[in-house]
Amino acid sequence: MDALVRFSFYCFTAASIAMVTSAICYIAYAVGRVQVRQARLQTSAGTAFVGHDTRFTPQSVAVARFGTMLAWFALAFQALSVLLRTIAAGRVPLANMYEFSSTFLVVLLVMYLVFERTYGVRQLGAIVLPLAAGMAAYIWLLPAAMREIDPLIPALQSITIMTIHVGLALLAYSTFAVAFAAAALFLVATHWRVAWLPSPDLLDDFGFRAVTIGFPALSLVLIVGSIWAHQAWGAYWSWDPKETAALFTWLIYAVYLHTRTLRGWRGNRGAWILVFGFAAAIFTYYGNYFFGGLHAYGGV
Amino acid sequence: MAQATAGQRIASRNPLEIVIDRTWRFFCSVRVAMAEIALLAVLVLIGTLRGSSVPDSIAVLLPFTRPVVDAWYAWDVFHSLPFMGLLTVISVAIAICTINRVPGIWASIAHPTIATTHGFLRNAERSGEITSPLSPAALATQSRAAIAKSGYRALADERQREIHLYADRFRYARLGTFPFHLALILILVGGIVSARWGFREMEFMLAEGSQRAVGYGTDLSVRLNDFSETYTEQGIAADYHSDFTLLRDGEPLESAIISPNHPFTHGDMTFYQSGFGQAVVMQITDVAGNVRFEDALPLGQFRSADNPEAPAAVIDVPTAGVSMTVIAPDENPRSQPELDQLNLRSGQMYLLLRPLGPSSPIAEPLAITLNQGTPVPAGDLSITFLRETRFSALQIARNPGISIFYAASFLLVAGLAVTFYFPHRRIRGIVSPTPGGGSKLVLAPMARRDWSGQQAFDRLLNNLETSLGAPIARIDRVTEPPAGAAGRQHVATSP
Repeated sequence: MDALVRFSFYCFTAASIAMVTSAICYIAYAVGRVQVRQARLQTSAGTAFVGHDTRFTPQSVAVARFGTMLAWFALAFQALSVLLRTIAAGRVPLANMYEFSSTFLVVLLVMYLVFERTYGVRQLGAIVLPLAAGMAAYIWLLPAAMREIDPLIPALQSITIMTIHVGLALLAYSTFAVAFAAAALFLVATHWRVAWLPSPDLLDDFGFRAVTIGFPALSLVLIVGSIWAHQAWGAYWSWDPKETAALFTWLIYAVYLHTRTLRGWRGNRGAWILVFGFAAAIFTYYGNYFFGGLHAYGGV
Repeated sequence: MAQATAGQRIASRNPLEIVIDRTWRFFCSVRVAMAEIALLAVLVLIGTLRGSSVPDSIAVLLPFTRPVVDAWYAWDVFHSLPFMGLLTVISVAIAICTINRVPGIWASIAHPTIATTHGFLRNAERSGEITSPLSPAALATQSRAAIAKSGYRALADERQREIHLYADRFRYARLGTFPFHLALILILVGGIVSARWGFREMEFMLAEGSQRAVGYGTDLSVRLNDFSETYTEQGIAADYHSDFTLLRDGEPLESAIISPNHPFTHGDMTFYQSGFGQAVVMQITDVAGNVRFEDALPLGQFRSADNPEAPAAVIDVPTAGVSMTVIAPDENPRSQPELDQLNLRSGQMYLLLRPLGPSSPIAEPLAITLNQGTPVPAGDLSITFLRETRFSALQIARNPGISIFYAASFLLVAGLAVTFYFPHRRIRGIVSPTPGGGSKLVLAPMARRDWSGQQAFDRLLNNLETSLGAPIARIDRVTEPPAGAAGRQHVATSP
């Protein structure tokens, strides 16, 4: 079992390297080539620089393709890491922040690559892959003791419902991350009018489609969590901080969906709600660090 | 003139009618609904942070905010009047808004407007154009049949030598909003039903061998037969469960073993395993040797006021006319040893005995240190600390709103799935006669700035092209700008 856990960690290491390299490729592709041209003035006293001009030109799509290939490598290694840990633990690894974040990386990469393939847009990798690399860095910073497999505490010993509840949360957070990437790129594309970025309408639709997966998933997180709470604690809602943080996130995306579909809030306003919604999702994700209450055992 | 007429009409209306109309419009306003949800989100955030260390961190960083932070911690947002009031307003708004939308949505499903304008087709971001030698009627018939093959409902209406077309898909998905919003109201109703007709006993502590009445108007009681736990190598509880018997009027009804996540249900009542701890068995006898009290007291319900690391228990014993406070030894004597004034050793308990009622056998409060198994006189009584044992913490709940919650959950998920994954797609078109005796069909989707809607329209055009066997000219007025270009007014056509 120790060998499996160790090998799982090696796979995570390989995935981390692939994620960082992929993020660099995607960023290089999205930013383009930066050319700084300086105007020189030749005088009898010597050469004086009188001005400069910065130009962005599109980067070769081969860079983005390389980024995508590395993202697939990262996914393969991370999925193998989670699979090995699943075999070693005898359950899906979702019991602490190390396991939860490792599995989150798999879901995030899957969601991103599915969206990339569906929409044929690679520039979003410039935001999603750095997020994934940041999450990998966070996992590296967690105490090494968390890499060991501990038995589940009694409160979590309901493996099926825990896997559904936490798995849906991972799906929701991942799609919100993808929606955030679309919103951020939308704001960049409309503010700077970078020609090789995807059209604003496509980015707007991309964000919306991601939310149409994430919002029902978050709704199911709340529902399945409530059913579990009823089974374990005798009440389906206890106003626990983690519950209400998820409700807060849900309300923000409810505002986004209503303003978009009923008030026609597309573009900048919708994009800012998605940015704010993702901030709320991160707040819920890391809430265990500063929340007390019934979910405190799910902390670090 | 028109304003005067409208003014007269308003003036002629009953004031009550005006109030009802304005109230109705207030609750139907999307802008107001958004403000309500945003306010609810703010209150939820305030309540969420109240359960965290964030306000305290703010007060540490900015000491002048301390009074505000103290008030923040003191305010139970989720049980406050403003929060309940806002939930009520939102529920009413959802109900009224939903009722208000029914006629419009149903009309668009059952009786959609078929006629459109050339202006709509001209200004559409994307459109398709088919030129045919067929007559307008023949082209319209063929097009409708081809559109219907793609899963759309195709309707036609002839107007001034032109035939207007309307096609839509997944029209019934528009009804998905109703179960979703009904579900939100039902969840609140479920909560109200549970709060009004149910109960939830959070700390039902029971020591091994002891028995306790459930209360809440029932004639049931619970006896804990056995409690057992196992630990991991790190000393963390790996599993624990309680073996108990449910009794009615002292007669055993049913026995069960419960553990976390595995409750036991009897009728409409459920028993949950929530925790466990240390208990102390105390005995009180009178001068004649009669046992006035012998039971286990769960320690840890309270903490000593002077030393928070010393678990304590308090109980009134009317049969002995005393109130007992028992304090156990400090659980962590190395931490803040200055607080441990009692200096109790293992096998000792500190007892504070107070008189209870006018016929109490003791005249004034007594403080005694008890050694396990050694009786100590206290007035006319004798107190013995018999042994230490464990208690099991149960939760008992009756939750009649749960079936409403399950129904609401189903409606919520179904409503969301239908709304999001079967979007209502609509297409409009006009078949016009051309000078040579032929006809021309122009089609455009009702999908402004909707990338997915336009993709669906493109797929329909492809199917149409195949079915009709005629080329379709596609007009894209918002095509993606080529590298180096910017702006949205680029028009591209392709045969």
